[in-house]
Amino acid sequence: MRSITTVGAVAAVAALALSGCAASGEAGAEGDSLDICYVTAAESHAYVTPANKAFDEAAAAAGATVNRLSQEFDVQKGTDQLTTCVSQGADGIVLWPLDPQAYIPGMIAAKDAGIPLIIINSPMDAAAEEYYDSFTGPDVYEEGELSGEALNEVLGGTGKVVIIAGQAGNGTTIGRTDGFTDKLAELGSKIEVLQVVNADFDQQKALEASRDLITRFGDEIQGVYANDDTMALGFIDAWKESGRSLDALPPIVGINGQVQAFDLIRAGQYYATIVQSPAEDGKLAAETIIKLIKGGSVDKRLPIPLTVVTSANVDSVEPAF
Amino acid sequence: MNTVRRAFDSDVFLGLVRYRVAIILVATVVIAASMVPGILEFRVLSLSLDRIGTTALVAAGLTLVLITGKLDLSGGAILALSGIAAIGLQEQFGQVPAALIGLGVGVLAGAVNGFLVVTLGINSLVATLASMLFFRALCHVLTDSRPFSGLDPLFGLAVSRPIAGTFTLRTILFVALLVILHVWLTRAVAGRNLFAVGSNPASAEASGIRSNGYVFGTFVFAGFTAGAAGVIQSLSVNTGSPVFGESTSLLAIAAVVIGGTRLEGGRGSALGTLGGLLVMAILTTAMEFSNVPAYIQSIVTGVILLLLILLDRFVSGKKGRDLSLTALLRSLRESRRNPETERTHAP
Amino acid sequence: MSAPTVSTDRVVKQGFLARYGTQFAMPAGILVLLVVGTVLSDRFLSVGNLTNVLINMSIVGIIVVGMTFVFVTRGMADLSVPATLAVGGLLVLMLDDVIGTWPAALIGLAVATFAGLVNGLLIGYAGLNPVITTLASGTIVLGIAQAFVGGVIVYGEDPAAKDFLTGRLFDVVPMIVLIFAVVAVLGHLVLSRTVFGRWTYAVGGNPHATEASAVPVRRVKAGAFVLTAALAGFAGVLLGISLQAARPGIGAGYEFDAITAVVVGGVSLLGGSGSIPRAIGGLLFVQLLTNILTLQGVPSEPQGMVKGALIAGAVALDVYLRRRGGRE
Repeated sequence: MRSITTVGAVAAVAALALSGCAASGEAGAEGDSLDICYVTAAESHAYVTPANKAFDEAAAAAGATVNRLSQEFDVQKGTDQLTTCVSQGADGIVLWPLDPQAYIPGMIAAKDAGIPLIIINSPMDAAAEEYYDSFTGPDVYEEGELSGEALNEVLGGTGKVVIIAGQAGNGTTIGRTDGFTDKLAELGSKIEVLQVVNADFDQQKALEASRDLITRFGDEIQGVYANDDTMALGFIDAWKESGRSLDALPPIVGINGQVQAFDLIRAGQYYATIVQSPAEDGKLAAETIIKLIKGGSVDKRLPIPLTVVTSANVDSVEPAF
Repeated sequence: MNTVRRAFDSDVFLGLVRYRVAIILVATVVIAASMVPGILEFRVLSLSLDRIGTTALVAAGLTLVLITGKLDLSGGAILALSGIAAIGLQEQFGQVPAALIGLGVGVLAGAVNGFLVVTLGINSLVATLASMLFFRALCHVLTDSRPFSGLDPLFGLAVSRPIAGTFTLRTILFVALLVILHVWLTRAVAGRNLFAVGSNPASAEASGIRSNGYVFGTFVFAGFTAGAAGVIQSLSVNTGSPVFGESTSLLAIAAVVIGGTRLEGGRGSALGTLGGLLVMAILTTAMEFSNVPAYIQSIVTGVILLLLILLDRFVSGKKGRDLSLTALLRSLRESRRNPETERTHAP
Repeated sequence: MSAPTVSTDRVVKQGFLARYGTQFAMPAGILVLLVVGTVLSDRFLSVGNLTNVLINMSIVGIIVVGMTFVFVTRGMADLSVPATLAVGGLLVLMLDDVIGTWPAALIGLAVATFAGLVNGLLIGYAGLNPVITTLASGTIVLGIAQAFVGGVIVYGEDPAAKDFLTGRLFDVVPMIVLIFAVVAVLGHLVLSRTVFGRWTYAVGGNPHATEASAVPVRRVKAGAFVLTAALAGFAGVLLGISLQAARPGIGAGYEFDAITAVVVGGVSLLGGSGSIPRAIGGLLFVQLLTNILTLQGVPSEPQGMVKGALIAGAVALDVYLRRRGGRE
């Protein structure tokens, strides 16, 4: 048995020595290009993908290189990837937090290493504030409030609704849902929330969750609030699947401002959506981190604009994507 | 054609196959180093090892389970459950006791698996599928499907910070565990019995080894290691989450199989598992550093797995030949000295 | 001297429960569920609700047919289903505006079947362990599919196809349930009435004897995996068309759902026994149970506790009844 270990050890050392030669030859050829490590939420997602693209474009325009790591909506992976960014010695880190505080240890490491770090799109807890330099992105709580107002208006202040929420524990989900329920309470609305389901910002999961909702409540559902348009589409699919007519769809309020939502608003099957441009999200984050790397200072909070779209202004506003 | 067959039959080739884990490891290191020059910095290596730490602990327990010829899919779910216990009970019991309770949860879960497989006689694939579903759902019920945080994000920092600039606590733990396991498996009577149980439980039983006890024990141990992985993971991010560990079990199985342990049982090595883990750790780090998408890594891991088990199958008929390195070198020397001599092997 | 009449029945006289237990358990179970469901919720026993149950189980059901073959030939399990399903869904949507939905569907199906062929060769002919092989091949296939698609979501361009699939025949029978029923009936006929089906049982029940009897063991074993991959690809195509959107993770979890159904249906992992109706029965049982829980407001994740306990219970029961019944 000693032989395997000896062989392995000898071989490993030999490889190290060999590669060490190669490594020393290439190290120090860093150059002046800015290296950004971007830990994004996912590769394939209706909102995230255009945001990533805009980020890449803005970074390229400023001459920076981007190393993009995708968490695939897995917080555990993301915390590991954050550590990779730090150890890679990136010039700047952009993090898309899927959890309000799980990344703090990694962020502390980044701070210790002197690497500027910003968070994009999703808020984190107050406890995390001292560890990031800026938060760029929409105000998700405000989005929740605007949605609450819209649904309350269309239902005339009373009725039974279901909420299709995003990934559980995600700052965006929490903000959008809390904003919604808080606003309803503030308005003294008599709207009753039948159930809240989590569908991970995914259309297929929303379809499955909506099937359950429709099974359980059926025609009792008088309104739907989805944390994003993609999930709302899943609900509509489930509604059709159950044999119900699209004309009988309860009013739906979504967020994101997708093209499909716009079409549905025109067709009368959707009540309102909130335009939030993923392109602006990505671009702003890229510009902010580059500014920070170059030594500039930025605001702690950099919001992107939001527009509520209903049938009233659906033709005068551009869909986000 | 004959030359080709003789080549495959030669001691050198078979020897290469025997030391395949070491070879793959070296190859991975070399390729990774040429892709990413900075990868051999100590700091980076230490990080790679820590990255694989959670999977490694689960893989350690799985190695024993696989040697007995069984499978355990529930590692990830036990990981999440233990983490939830370790974080969730902090307020009530304090941080360290909560962590210990988390370990206990892992042990208990392992015992449930043992019960299902040994006492009820359920096939281990199905039994651990059932327990995986059960424990995962339990995680969701306990947390209402939301991740939650513990008392102090800085408490767990110690776990994932390099100690004295070398390796993290997590790394030291799993490397030590795998080394200890290796020694146990090769030197201790109980360790060697495990192989017997895996090759042929009936004949092991006949020669006085309590197969059932061993199988039950390995499931408990696997639960313990998964619990340890979960507690450490949750502490390091100060979060208890019902979705942690979802891909861990399969990654761990891959590492164990790359390391030479076989699903059929009776063969395996803890050092091999360590090798398999290192291969995956270096692959992950290299891919991430060079912005290679994760799916490329999946393809590479899958291909390595397939090649290995194919090679295995191919070679399994060639038992009875002394393939240790010394014998190899000796036979090489001899064949060079006497090219005409027909080499015969001891039966 | 006449010897006392001793029963020469070496097969012990089985009690009623032991002999018929495994056959009646499933229909009885389903009946029990129907009663419990009706009691617990007045929404349960409606045409709308039960139709929904059928719709929900259709996609998994198609995969269950394949998985049954795998179980019966003692092929353990096919864990590459998420990959082959994704391949079907991704390809049909990627190509639907280039060559039309139905030709694109055929291509998706073909690629998935090819993946199944690889599985079949490795498992049936090279004799590799099915669990690890399908795990590895699934990872590779999914990786290739993701690389091919560029790792993004693929959207479909054919709402007409979607309407067709999600529509209902005569406004009553959902199209997708019909397709599933056809697949299930065909699968059952193949397994129970064709030579291939008999071979499947033989290979699973007694591989060594079968080998000696000139049954093409390796081809049969490979066939089960080719079939499962093809069916998973088909299911993926259907799923993709009905969503008009597919991402690489679209098939996640279906393999375990299928295994759950087959196991609960009483089909043994050790091969040689079971049938499509049993597997479908198991699927129906699980779906009804899920439906009841949903109507009671139990969220979907915690339902796993019941599923896990169900699997353990069903298999333990099966093991117990087999021992009692004097078989193996």
